[in-house]
Amino acid sequence: MLGQTKPAAVSMYEATGETAFIYHQIRQVLRASGVSAIFRSWAGAEHVLDAMWSALRPNLETRAFEDASDHVREAAAHAAHPLGTLGAVTHFEPTESRAFQIRAALDLHRYLTPKLLLLAAAARLALDGEYIGREGAVATELVERGVPPRMYPMALVDERPDDKQLRDLFRDVRRTMKTTAADDVYRSLALWPDYFTAAWTHLRPLTRGDEFRDAVDSVRETARSLARTLPLPLRLPPEYFQGRQADMETAASITAEYEDALPGTLMNVMLFATDWQPLDALARSPFAAESRAARRASPRTTAEVA
Amino acid sequence: MAWRDFQALQRVTTLGDRFVSYVDQGSGDPVVLLHGIPTWGYLWHHQLDELSASSRLLIPDLLGYGFSDRSDRFDRSIAQQAAMVDAWMQVIGVEQATIVGHDVGGGVALRLATHFPRRVARLCVMNSVCYDAWPTESMWRRGLPHAARDMSRRDKMTAMVRGLRDGAFASAPDDDLLESLLAPYATAAGMHSLERDAESLDVNQTMEIVPLLSRITAPTLVLWGEDDAFLPVDYAERLAWDIPDAELIRIKGARHFVMLDQPDVVRGALTQLLGVAVPV
Repeated sequence: MLGQTKPAAVSMYEATGETAFIYHQIRQVLRASGVSAIFRSWAGAEHVLDAMWSALRPNLETRAFEDASDHVREAAAHAAHPLGTLGAVTHFEPTESRAFQIRAALDLHRYLTPKLLLLAAAARLALDGEYIGREGAVATELVERGVPPRMYPMALVDERPDDKQLRDLFRDVRRTMKTTAADDVYRSLALWPDYFTAAWTHLRPLTRGDEFRDAVDSVRETARSLARTLPLPLRLPPEYFQGRQADMETAASITAEYEDALPGTLMNVMLFATDWQPLDALARSPFAAESRAARRASPRTTAEVA
Repeated sequence: MAWRDFQALQRVTTLGDRFVSYVDQGSGDPVVLLHGIPTWGYLWHHQLDELSASSRLLIPDLLGYGFSDRSDRFDRSIAQQAAMVDAWMQVIGVEQATIVGHDVGGGVALRLATHFPRRVARLCVMNSVCYDAWPTESMWRRGLPHAARDMSRRDKMTAMVRGLRDGAFASAPDDDLLESLLAPYATAAGMHSLERDAESLDVNQTMEIVPLLSRITAPTLVLWGEDDAFLPVDYAERLAWDIPDAELIRIKGARHFVMLDQPDVVRGALTQLLGVAVPV
């Protein structure tokens, strides 16, 4: 946990300069309508986002990463299966527009959370000294960049909302999931407070059971195993951070926090989704990625064009 | 009516990659009510119960507004919004309707009447963007890239509430009403979407249709809060002069949000318009 020294995250709409450019790259490369909390937290510590993104980005663009995150999603869906349907919708009025939007928000998180878990796992392993990927020329297929046209925006309620009931819910989420921050998933679903209250009330008891804990452990191990199979080199030794004037300890601390929390978050996304999707559909990617057509890897400079 | 109760009435339909949230209440001749910036369909909540007793009220949130699609990857101009309304009416099976628009929604209504005239049985524009009357300076500034970054979201929301309270109403709106009108923009993503909406305000799209106004054949009512400081009543006079046989009703004791300042007067005028026979 980060305690007193935790740097303030940089909001996705308030970033400027280099951070804004990296946020743009994150949206494009991860195919996400928003910039997730792990990146916003890295951005709060000087040079850490740049260091982590530069190291991670090559793998995140590969078909191997997309496929691996699909496997993480499948693993989470299978782990959720025995826990059954959440049953929160019967305690909430799922009017047409609300149902559409909640489902769309859950699709966003069902797509994105496995990717976040996988990249956090890869980063943590590398920070712990593991060598990921293969040296030398590796032929890799890349996936198309860009936000899928139908992806729901990443709209989030304030982390400390004015509404006391929501504040209390977030506090309970943090306590129950043993994290210092309410993840984007919960802040997103809190846009519909009646639904989120009903869903969390139904989900909370499940998170205390052995079956849930086993599922979380299994998802975490799956993500770590798959992270070790990523094709491109990922090394994060102390010299790397020294060279970039970034604080490795802060990077490691933030990364560990998210890598600890994300398996539980992913399980919760799956359980929330059981109310809206057939169980067998949960494993499928809601935004399957096309392969990228062959093209130059980087934009031409003005000098090249001239 | 609380805004969440209004939102609960909304249905949703997809148009290609976009989706539109809308209220569909009542039966009878269809009436489409279009809101402006920075509001959403809730703007019309005073009209909902009474008008839906005799008409089918259809109240969409424009693209990028309210609870319709607010992703960051599409055109929000009034030309595009008119095309959206045309496509949406097609999808929900409404061939023709009385089109009522306020502010930016009025601009959309005028674009519908000039570019999709088959959709417009009758037309009502109230305190509408038109000619070169817009964008207002505050909305124009909201769309500037640096303005978006120079204030915190809370400060932006506070400024917007203050702007509405101080300049947009002749009546004294309570905090609850103002917060309800702005509710979809309370999150960072919502505010960002509103800034994109502001960036799309384009005077050329109302100037472009000036030569076409004289071709509007639908019975037209120009309804204007006389004390509107954002869109002065002079522009209403121009519209009533350019659109053949248009009737102008100037409403005293009303500013920009005429339907909230004088809901009974607006309801009465709309009821009267709905009684006008549509030319075949």
